[in-house]
Amino acid sequence: MLSQRDAAEMRANLQEAVVKCSERCLYQSAKWAAELLTSLSTTEDSIEPEDSQMTEVPAAAVPPIVVTGNVDPEEAQLEAKEINQYLLAKSFFDCREFDRCAAVFLPDTVLSGILSTAATKNPNASAPQGKGKSRGSAARTSAAPVATPKLSQKSLFLALYAKFMSGEKKKDEDSEMVMGPHDGGNAINKQLNVISRFLETWFLEHTNENGSVDGSQGWLEYLYGMVLAKDKNEAQAMHWLLKSVHLYQMNWSCWLEMASLIGRMEDLQQLGQRVPAHIFGFIFNIHTSLELYQSGPDLSARLDQLLSIFPTSPFILTCVALLAYHTKDFVTADAHFSNLLALHPHRLDSLDHYSNILYVMNLRPKLSFLAHLCSAVDKFRPESCVVIGNYYSLLSSHEKAVQYFRRALTLDRSCLSAWTLMGHEYVELKNTHAAIESYRRAVDVNRRDYRAWYGLGQTYEVLEMHAYALWYYKRAAGLRPWDGKMWMAVGSCLQKMGRDLEGIKALKRALQADSYYDAGVGSSFGSGGRERAAIMDPEILLQIAGMYERLEDEAEARSYMEMCVAQEEGAAENLDSSVINIHADSQSSEDDSRPQGGGDTGSGTGVTAATSKARMWLAKHAMRTGDYNRAMQLATELCQDGVEVEEAKALVREVRVRQEADGL
Amino acid sequence: MTRFLTPAKIGLLALIELYTDAVVPSSSTIPILSFIINQLLPCAYKAQPREPKSLRTLPFILDLESFEALLTSHPAAGGLPGRSLWDHFLRKLWEIDSLDALHEFFATRGNLLARNREEIKKDGELGIPPPSDDMILLSRTSPLGSFIRRAKVEYERLRFSDTLSLWVAFVEWREESRTYWAKRNGGLERWAGDRVLAEGQEEWGLEATEMLEHITYGALSKENSNQGGISTDDVEKLLEFQVEQMQKLGNRIPHEVKEQFKAVLEKNIIIPSLSHYLNFLDAWRAGDYPTSFDNLHRYFDYTMQSRDRLFYQYALMNLAVLQADFGCFDEAVAAMLETVSTARENKDMACLNFALNWLYHFGKAHPKIMKGTDSTNILGVEREGLAFLRIKAKETGMWTLWSSSLLSEAKLGMSNGESVATAFENILKSSQLIVEKNMKSMMGPQMAMHSSLWGRLGVAHLSRQYCDIFLTCHARYALFDDTLRFTTRVAHLLAERGRYDEAMEKLEGLDENSLRTWKSNQYWLKYRGILRLKRDLHRNNLSGADHLLSQLTQCNSSDTDTDLAYETNTLHIDYLIRRTNYGQALAKIEQMASEMKEEGDDLNLRIKLLTMKALLQDKAGRPQKGFSIAIRAASIAWRARLIPALWGAMGAIANILTSLSEFQASSQILVAIIPRALEYENCTLNAQLYSFLVDAYMGLAGQAESGSPTRKENLTRCLQFIDQAFDEYSTVEDIKGQCEMMAKKATIMRVVGDNVLANDYASAYLDLKKGLSVGA
Repeated sequence: MLSQRDAAEMRANLQEAVVKCSERCLYQSAKWAAELLTSLSTTEDSIEPEDSQMTEVPAAAVPPIVVTGNVDPEEAQLEAKEINQYLLAKSFFDCREFDRCAAVFLPDTVLSGILSTAATKNPNASAPQGKGKSRGSAARTSAAPVATPKLSQKSLFLALYAKFMSGEKKKDEDSEMVMGPHDGGNAINKQLNVISRFLETWFLEHTNENGSVDGSQGWLEYLYGMVLAKDKNEAQAMHWLLKSVHLYQMNWSCWLEMASLIGRMEDLQQLGQRVPAHIFGFIFNIHTSLELYQSGPDLSARLDQLLSIFPTSPFILTCVALLAYHTKDFVTADAHFSNLLALHPHRLDSLDHYSNILYVMNLRPKLSFLAHLCSAVDKFRPESCVVIGNYYSLLSSHEKAVQYFRRALTLDRSCLSAWTLMGHEYVELKNTHAAIESYRRAVDVNRRDYRAWYGLGQTYEVLEMHAYALWYYKRAAGLRPWDGKMWMAVGSCLQKMGRDLEGIKALKRALQADSYYDAGVGSSFGSGGRERAAIMDPEILLQIAGMYERLEDEAEARSYMEMCVAQEEGAAENLDSSVINIHADSQSSEDDSRPQGGGDTGSGTGVTAATSKARMWLAKHAMRTGDYNRAMQLATELCQDGVEVEEAKALVREVRVRQEADGL
Repeated sequence: MTRFLTPAKIGLLALIELYTDAVVPSSSTIPILSFIINQLLPCAYKAQPREPKSLRTLPFILDLESFEALLTSHPAAGGLPGRSLWDHFLRKLWEIDSLDALHEFFATRGNLLARNREEIKKDGELGIPPPSDDMILLSRTSPLGSFIRRAKVEYERLRFSDTLSLWVAFVEWREESRTYWAKRNGGLERWAGDRVLAEGQEEWGLEATEMLEHITYGALSKENSNQGGISTDDVEKLLEFQVEQMQKLGNRIPHEVKEQFKAVLEKNIIIPSLSHYLNFLDAWRAGDYPTSFDNLHRYFDYTMQSRDRLFYQYALMNLAVLQADFGCFDEAVAAMLETVSTARENKDMACLNFALNWLYHFGKAHPKIMKGTDSTNILGVEREGLAFLRIKAKETGMWTLWSSSLLSEAKLGMSNGESVATAFENILKSSQLIVEKNMKSMMGPQMAMHSSLWGRLGVAHLSRQYCDIFLTCHARYALFDDTLRFTTRVAHLLAERGRYDEAMEKLEGLDENSLRTWKSNQYWLKYRGILRLKRDLHRNNLSGADHLLSQLTQCNSSDTDTDLAYETNTLHIDYLIRRTNYGQALAKIEQMASEMKEEGDDLNLRIKLLTMKALLQDKAGRPQKGFSIAIRAASIAWRARLIPALWGAMGAIANILTSLSEFQASSQILVAIIPRALEYENCTLNAQLYSFLVDAYMGLAGQAESGSPTRKENLTRCLQFIDQAFDEYSTVEDIKGQCEMMAKKATIMRVVGDNVLANDYASAYLDLKKGLSVGA
């Protein structure tokens, strides 16, 4: 819990952040911060505004005036001078007249003047290192003729951000119909170049000898980082974004940009030391971990900590729900989301995840209600479209589902889940080409989406291009090493390619991972119907046995066949998992936490096709080894189970003949 | 607003399921099935309601009450005792407790249908046993089956938002039955009907649940807009019905219906293009030329290319008819000729035949305009043209056209004064066709032809009877125009017998709404004017008659009906004669005769004109000058069997004979024809004939020696016939005729020597004259 003083400070900080963000038209950040602000627990509501440390924004009662002041006197003076123009530009931005907004401070003539000079020096300045570049002394001198206009940073940010938005808007307008013949996803924001050159010049001008930028307040750094990130210049981007968060911590958009640049857990851990210690950094860490499909008690503890500060924050609640989702605890996730729905019925953010959960749980009425709700709130939000698409997918109306996913993508091309889900729908529609394309686009948008990788693998497997499939499965498995399904896919793929040894390894990992999690329902593929974890999947066991057989390792094959048959009775008599010796790897730490589900071990899988096959194999094996009694017993069991009765009966007859022959 | 589905249709689907569930006892099957079928079938196939009351109770959009009224009275065959079908029905409705359940509901509709072979095969593969034989399965092509299939397909193609609005509309529609259903089930929860809300309440608490409900349903239910209640399909059906009614009856839309239409169409987002056609019809009927023109173009702009058929020829045809109706004959003919060529190009025989038929009739009505265009060769000579049309109609199975061409042929024969037998033959042929094909709309022309044929044959009561038959039996299904014509005809016959008030009453009794149609209204007004004019003339109210005449002749331009024009003209001549302006009267007659000769008009009218001319000569005091004319009229009338005209002509001849002192011959002629003429029940004619007879007998009396019994006898006869003539004149209120008779009577009395009586009659004459002069 925060102390009273801390809470007041936090509140004031957040208030300031909201105003600052909305002054710069960073609407999403402002919204996010405001959500957080209102969810701050207000048990001690009676803090006097005088107590507040912050001077700009009174904590309560008096709402802040339209614009905040600036601590930097020079900046403040500039801002005061530009106030009228600034207000004009802001209103243009609010009306989505981006070019006009940019032109208030940076008329095109000025901009082109700066850029033409910047262009001449650009070859010199393109040195890769961020700081090295700033020391290009030749460039500095040549930049002198046309100086950047003297503007406050706020106005400059607004102008450049408007330029950026105008570029994004044009990009959207230029890009073709989603998945149309000319939609290669390669429409680019033409303003990026302009903005980055401008900022480059600006930073050059303002950098002092120490390599730090004088009086900079972090916003321009954020913009520069974002532009660089869009240019795929990720190391640089991260550098500038980090700079930005150091200068101003409360810009959530900046944290989000950083999160999107982090592809692996290791990156996050490395970054850990370099981010400022701030509550936003803390939230960022959790958010990114969740994006990377992490789970675990540590994460949930940290989330609980946050919840105690912001008990009703929809963002934190969403995180909690997503955590449950990632651990495949769908019931809890559903409960969390449901609670969220009741608290914030008009909030559509991340309801697409909720629809995925409902999809997996096959709760059709609830999903239909959710779709109804979303559609009633706003039917032209990507989230709503994804929810509706998921509903149609659950109804097996795949064409309609595709239609709604496309609509979601038309509304927002970077809507990751829509791309992936559309890929799934195309798989259902047997349109592998389109499926691959949409998965590919999903991966391009966000490389961390294991479902898209897995989908790609699956599609290639359908096309019998196993080498490709293997590659993609491996990517998926790399993202979710503890998900048995991924390993199983890798294993089967290897098996099909005839690489049995590696296949066995992969499948064993799958077995191990399976026993850790619930099986089978990892994504909305919904292959469904698979049993609780404590039982090993007889299919996998059968596959492993088959591969051992091919490797002519009869003993191993037999033991796995036995294990497979044993699954019928349930896990109680399971061979201990130590039997499955797996090469030790990074995963082992999580093995400790493996729950030995005692409650539901009693029930086995019952007779399945796999166990019957295993039994048949065992019977034949017994025949070969001359263990007629065993063969007899197994064959009779087969007859009882009513699977492959003809073959079993033939076997029984043969056993009798042999036995009689032996008896004679 | 959805294309097809409405909550009421969901109700119907549930009802059908109820039927297939075999909960409907066999005694209730028929009312329930007929209820469903009544909703499903397009109105064209429905039989005319026997008891109109039972149908009128159903509203256009079915509400729950209609279902309740139907179902509560029927007990269910299975389930708990004491439960009616209504309970079962409600259970079905309330079981749809989420959007998903609605989807499920539609998805399972297919189970009500009989499986086709492929489905059986597929089911077999999946291990689903074929449905048992005692289940009620609906054939895929039955009305119920096709309705179910249509509903399924329509549901499939709904966008999500439309599905939502259907669902919300359904929830709203069902709400009415909540209290009943709650009572039956021992109380319902607050959220019955939405499972998710009901389940969520435990989790979310009441307030949050209410909030969610408000977001999902709330805003809609408060406004109570009936958005989902009507589907485009319903509106289209309604429009089709309305257009059909308007075309069949020739009416305009009644005011209150128009209001409702407006309300329905305002809610609708997709306005069916047919509504433009409806507007066109209404504007046309209202005589609003620019609006109707505009709407016609608008309608065809929307429909020109639909359904892969070119509608250009129909557009042109409608345009031509419209132009003709508003008196733009040249444009009309041009448009119709283009229709003919377009229809020929597109091999649209139906349209072509109709267009040719129209052209033929138009040519009959407006020969001058047709002459202007070089289109005479389209149908060749008149008769050949008709025969061509008849054969074509027979080939293409256009029964209406066939029968109308037969009637036209009969009419042509009649007006040319050809064999009555042939005319009868044609009429009979057409009659057979009409009865065989049940063409109620053709009943009007058929009856009119019959009636006028009998009229020409001088059997007035038969003619009248046909009119009455039509008015009592067929008027309901026929164009209002026909009804109007028949009514005027009856009124005309009544007026001929002097029953003006009755005639006026008949006209006044016509449907007020139908009279909103501009054309009918014009006709009606004119005819009323003619009636009044006739009466005024007879009463010698000449200034009033003058006033009326000036109005009537003013609008007697080319666009009025030829019959009305003729009537007005004869009355005009009558007026001139009564004004003793004989010169002008003669000029008028000559003018009419020359026009008629040019246009080849009806023989009957020409004979009447000839007779009138002959009588005019008589009035002018030179009866012999009319002799050849009268003879000609008589001979033509005799040849053409135009009996009433013949009697008129014979009367004129007799009068001429009288003037030539051939009293014997004259009286013989008159005595011979009067009994037959009486059959025709035309009082004016009768009075005239009687007065001629009086003249003839007077002449005979004059020829006999004074005081001889022959003279006496003839004088008595004279008196007797004067009385007769006087009576006839008084029935038609012809004061001038009465005066004349009175004067004659007084004269006879004086001749007889009974001065007292003569004096009396003279004073009576003076009284009449006074009334006359007062009237004048």
